[in-house]
Amino acid sequence: MLRKFTEKNNAIMSDTNYPSDKKRDFQIIPRLEVRQNSPEWLRFLIYTISLLVGCVCAVLVMYWVGINPADLIQEISILLFSGTRTIGAILAQTAPLMIAGLATAVAFRANFWNVGLEGQMIVGTIFATFIAIHDVGPDSVRLVLMAVAAMLGGIIWIAPAGFLKLKLGINEVITTLLLNYIAFNLLLHLLFGAWKDPVSGFPHSAQFDLVERLPKLGWENLTYALPLAVFLVLLVWWILSFSRVGYLLSFVSSNPTMAKAVGAPVLGLSITAIIMSGAIGGLTGFAIASGLEFRMTRDFFSGFLFSGVLIAFLGRNHPIGVGIVALFMAILVLLGQSLQVFYQVPFALIQLIQAIFIICVAASEFFLTYRMHWRN
Amino acid sequence: MIDFFINWISIVPSFAAPFVLAALGLIICERAGVLNLGAEGFMLVGALAGVGLMVNGAPALLSLAGAALAGSIFGIFFAFMVAGLRINHVISGLAIVFLAQALTSLIATQQGWTNNPISGLQPLFSDSLSDILYFGPILFGQDIIIYFTPILCFLVAYVIYQTTIGLKLRAVGENPHAADAAGIDVTLIRFLAIIIGGAFLGLAGGYLTVAVSKIWVDGVVGGRGWIAIALVIFARWGAWRALTGALLFGCIEALIPRIAAVGIHVPQYFLLMTPYLTTLGVMIWSAIRLKNDWSQPAALGQHHIREERT
Repeated sequence: MLRKFTEKNNAIMSDTNYPSDKKRDFQIIPRLEVRQNSPEWLRFLIYTISLLVGCVCAVLVMYWVGINPADLIQEISILLFSGTRTIGAILAQTAPLMIAGLATAVAFRANFWNVGLEGQMIVGTIFATFIAIHDVGPDSVRLVLMAVAAMLGGIIWIAPAGFLKLKLGINEVITTLLLNYIAFNLLLHLLFGAWKDPVSGFPHSAQFDLVERLPKLGWENLTYALPLAVFLVLLVWWILSFSRVGYLLSFVSSNPTMAKAVGAPVLGLSITAIIMSGAIGGLTGFAIASGLEFRMTRDFFSGFLFSGVLIAFLGRNHPIGVGIVALFMAILVLLGQSLQVFYQVPFALIQLIQAIFIICVAASEFFLTYRMHWRN
Repeated sequence: MIDFFINWISIVPSFAAPFVLAALGLIICERAGVLNLGAEGFMLVGALAGVGLMVNGAPALLSLAGAALAGSIFGIFFAFMVAGLRINHVISGLAIVFLAQALTSLIATQQGWTNNPISGLQPLFSDSLSDILYFGPILFGQDIIIYFTPILCFLVAYVIYQTTIGLKLRAVGENPHAADAAGIDVTLIRFLAIIIGGAFLGLAGGYLTVAVSKIWVDGVVGGRGWIAIALVIFARWGAWRALTGALLFGCIEALIPRIAAVGIHVPQYFLLMTPYLTTLGVMIWSAIRLKNDWSQPAALGQHHIREERT
């Protein structure tokens, strides 16, 4: 009823706004019309086109820094088809990226722009490393304790931002980012002070004992970090898509005012999503420290905020989408590492490509929402 | 003791100036209703442009102008995303920061500008003036941008409140639909606001490298863009209040290296946290204190589509 009225209203308005005495066939700035609905095939088409544009831009950027497309194809094929070793490396890299994407996607689902993933990773890892260094608890449950501690650390680091957002309406983008800087300084304080490696004196923690590492899968160098990541993806998928919480949460994310009006527990749902995001963020750090590097290093977290936002964004905040995109992101990261070694291009190249993809996919939203009219 | 204070106060303006300039740029953007979370990215671009020009032999002032220009060129891109394609303000802000971080790091490494010291901007007055006891270094030991900054503050405040273009700017930020009905081109005003604001942000970044650090390292801005965003909220979108707030942050930042020098022992990394902690504190204070304050532009972060108005 209301929509019909506004439609009619708009029709009248656009008539008055474009008087017929100015007759131009073509206008440089198109007139916009809001699409009433966008069919599934159009969604898919526009999304694919935006990814293709992103790929073209990425190849152009690589060409600009001096990598031929032919060399690029060669590098990718070496990565993908030269045996199980590189496949193992890709899968090992996928695990933390998957968890990072999940942490970001869960918060984005609740309209909470959590860009504090790196801070949550750092504090989570600090908590887990504390358990490892001080040998808290019996050996048999040490890993579980570390995981729980990591989740707790992540929650502690997202809680202030969540509280300030929900209670005082403070923009969470700024608070979570500031908390990243604080966490990073805390990490440096520990690594250059009390937790310096007693063996080598380097600024990273002592190596974890065997019981503090995620056990090996027995294929290449993979550890249980990958099953953990896949389990988390399925768990979050179940929560978001099949449980009551997820159903209500999708309600909240699409229309908070409406959700509140019909009596959905908006505050409780937001808190749940924020806590989940923080806990998963902490686990990301745990998966790296305990499943990949076996110690807390100085820059284990670097680039994950970037990748997390990108993975959540490309995966449309859907856990399964996140899982798939994470795999591609791992290939991209490893490609960046080998380009760094063989072509001396800085790793920032990969981040530039990631930023280009974010912009392309974000821009594609425009073509979904609006229809452009170039003629009067 | 008095030496400590003179030394400290005389260095405060050069720490405060980037905050003021960035805050002015953000005020211009946000008064037009554009939530510019890309401040950090704009500053990085300006900072790199400043260094790049200086390394290639340009004089300091020209480099600063180039930094401002780079900021506004980057602004065109951001404006296209936000005002043209109507991408969500938060997403485009974050994307801009990511893009700028990667792009500046890549260009700096490719061109070999990293860790390359530059001569930088010199104080405006000769040594004889700034050697005057006590007030000499504070009043006459500064560079030209410092003396120029209050003038810019005045100009921004004047344009926003006393001119027709300022009225249009505020109208667009408060109620774009009404502004559109009154015949103001909302998209054009927002484009201009972002481009001019981008010039201020670029200048702020350029000042950081050309006058303060005199060297480029990746991520040289170090979160100052985010602090500036918080500062604008603290200053309730007013140019003069931003100047006051920036002086507060300048004092804290200038104090950090001096605390260890006078022998007070606080762990180094905790000292480095203080600007961020202060920013958090300031944001909480503003949120509590100004709960019923209406100075935030009403349409901040909202898009304007003519066909969507109801």
